[in-house]
Amino acid sequence: MKTTKTLTIKNNKLLLCGLFFSLFLLSNTAIAQIQVKGIVKGKTETEIEVLNGASIYLKGTNVGTSSNKKGEYNFPQQLKVGDVLVFTYLGYLKKSIKIKENTSTLNVTLIEDDNQMLGALNTNKRFKSKRLKTQ
Amino acid sequence: MIHYKRVFLLLLIAKIGFAQQSDFKNIDFSKADNIAKTVKVKRLYKLNELTFKLTKNLNTDVEKVRAIYVWICNNIANSFSLYSLNERKRNRFEKDSIKLQNWNSKFKKKLFKKLLKKKRTICTGYAYLFKEMCNIAGIESKMVNGFGRTSSVDFSELTMPNHTWNVVKINNKWYVCDPTWSTGISFPEEGRFKFNFNDGYFLTTPKLFFKNHFPLEKQFSLLGKQTPSFLDFTEMPLLYNDAFKLIEEHQLPLKMDHEIKKDSMVTFQYKLKTNINLNKVKFVLFSGDNERRITPTRKSIQNNILILNYQFKRRGFYDFHLYFDDEIIATYVFRVKK
Repeated sequence: MKTTKTLTIKNNKLLLCGLFFSLFLLSNTAIAQIQVKGIVKGKTETEIEVLNGASIYLKGTNVGTSSNKKGEYNFPQQLKVGDVLVFTYLGYLKKSIKIKENTSTLNVTLIEDDNQMLGALNTNKRFKSKRLKTQ
Repeated sequence: MIHYKRVFLLLLIAKIGFAQQSDFKNIDFSKADNIAKTVKVKRLYKLNELTFKLTKNLNTDVEKVRAIYVWICNNIANSFSLYSLNERKRNRFEKDSIKLQNWNSKFKKKLFKKLLKKKRTICTGYAYLFKEMCNIAGIESKMVNGFGRTSSVDFSELTMPNHTWNVVKINNKWYVCDPTWSTGISFPEEGRFKFNFNDGYFLTTPKLFFKNHFPLEKQFSLLGKQTPSFLDFTEMPLLYNDAFKLIEEHQLPLKMDHEIKKDSMVTFQYKLKTNINLNKVKFVLFSGDNERRITPTRKSIQNNILILNYQFKRRGFYDFHLYFDDEIIATYVFRVKK
């Protein structure tokens, strides 16, 4: 009598484990399979154009890619929901975008930042007081 | 007596932990420097890849920053033509903010396209590139706009900021650096640029860096409440590139311009970064029609502190230059009266 009871419990435990395990497997495979590609553009006061050489990388990792002459990119690694892609290009504000379930084509337009272009030349020319300048 | 008190005060202030390259005394940069030397790319369209190549085999953040910095300094040339073009337009539109903004936007696009294609730029370009590559490597860095001071800068004419550099956060502490000036030297009369790596602008002692870098935003001086005013900044002694390679602190005198009496003894004091040959220290006195090489009245080095004295015996107005061997270090101006 006792033996039969123990066996039943064991079987139930096994069944339960099996159920959880397969659910786990299923949910995992559903997440890590998002292929993202798109076009990166840049917007200034006067126009919008595609960006050649924009950086796109997975936040917190070394995995990334760059856009081509047409602004096109294809992310080299499959992503999952919740991953953050960072888009940057010199002179524009970077954008971080969270991947959603239905993400596949991700076109991004970066906005110009307002930094001024300055350029003091580095020189080793010796100083001369105005007062001592001849002529 | 007064001199000693001043010196003591200055030394005390210097010891209150400012973020500088000596924080990393125990780190050998040769691995990072070697990687920076060997990585070569023709174009910069793949910044991610480039940054990864430079940093993947380095274990510490400071080494990664170093590899990025040295790579930029070895590979990105300063474009004199872009510099002149921008100067002309910015001066022309100084009073017209809309035209200036339009020019800036147009120029920026041109600048970055040229940078990615030809690896040439002007200072804001260097600062952007350094910031971008650090960010890609997971290290925080910002650009700092402000006034850069060289022998060519005339403060009576300069009213707008003229330079951009960076601050970078390593191990939770901020440091200053100037990738543009570390890369090399320009010869404006000849319209050319020469690569000449200057390690002195990498994680510089903030107090020394401030002598020729005045940030628009005070917090970026990294000097906190000790940040001198703009007026103080314009009155500081003029330092040249090699000063940053050879000295750790400029202690005396405090200003560039001096009005003194004949026969006054003037003290010059510096904390050195490295050993120098005391015999190669000289002054050059320029009085308009005459230039003389001068030996200091007294000179000594003790515990890395270099002290020089000079007694001005003749009335006159002089540009007074300090040289270590053939390298010009600093300029002061003396008006000697009776």
